Amino acid sequence: MADDMDQDDRAQGVDKRRKGRGHRDTTEWAERYGGARFKELDPNAKPGPTASVEGWVIFITNVNEEAQEEDIHEAFAEFGDVKNIYMNLDRQTGFVKGYALVEYKGHKEAQAAINEMNGKVLLEQTIQVDWAFRKPQRRR
Amino acid sequence: MADDFYLRYYVGHKGKFGHEFLEFEFNKDGRLRYANNSNYKNDEIITREVYVSQSVIAELKRIVEDSEILREDDNNWPAPDRVGRQELEIVLGGQHISFTCTKLGSVLQVQNSKDPDGLRIFYYLVQNLKCFVFSLISAHFKIQPIQK
Repeated sequence: MADDMDQDDRAQGVDKRRKGRGHRDTTEWAERYGGARFKELDPNAKPGPTASVEGWVIFITNVNEEAQEEDIHEAFAEFGDVKNIYMNLDRQTGFVKGYALVEYKGHKEAQAAINEMNGKVLLEQTIQVDWAFRKPQRRR
Repeated sequence: MADDFYLRYYVGHKGKFGHEFLEFEFNKDGRLRYANNSNYKNDEIITREVYVSQSVIAELKRIVEDSEILREDDNNWPAPDRVGRQELEIVLGGQHISFTCTKLGSVLQVQNSKDPDGLRIFYYLVQNLKCFVFSLISAHFKIQPIQK
């Protein structure tokens, strides 16, 4: 993992408030990775949302903390066959953390879900729905 | 740059199966890098990279802000040792934290430390971040990271 952050700080003369032993005691990231390339699915793709290994994944936020997977399934099944749902709990409270990932096989289904459900109310909360993954916009 | 953002988490140890570690990193452009290394049974490093949307980055920032980790400090946290090492580095809201700690095995270990409240925040935030990243990586690459 590149340590660009410090160079940017110095270049801009920015004085970020720094806390933590890690600033003085950094481990050798270069030693961990050497020249290892981080595998991507499709490094040469053009900009926009990107397909995942088996489908298209959308990202939902502001999910009610008492939501069940069935609630998500019910709300999103009308756009297509829901292949997968990930909805994590807060590890301390046990309530739903607030986000969910929903996967459809087809791009059209996922796009329809985004168009219809973004800004809709689910379990009394207004959810946001967007793509989860996108193609890189490479800086030159 | 008040809107600058970066998050990196590392947990690992060196032992019988080499340098076993898990590390992930988000930058503000949404680039997520994930690495999992072990030499157990001569295994090799797994690395993956994907760009997440700005919605995902926004949610990550919310999770970090809600935890209030930026108010904490690692001065009184147990230092990295032979058992293991954790590193959490975050740039958010004009602050740059870089905390180190040994591996935390249980809530009891947190309770008995010199800064139970601060360490508890770290302990649960790390678990929540791992869940977040594992779901993203699983959904995109269909590989199942092993929870430790």
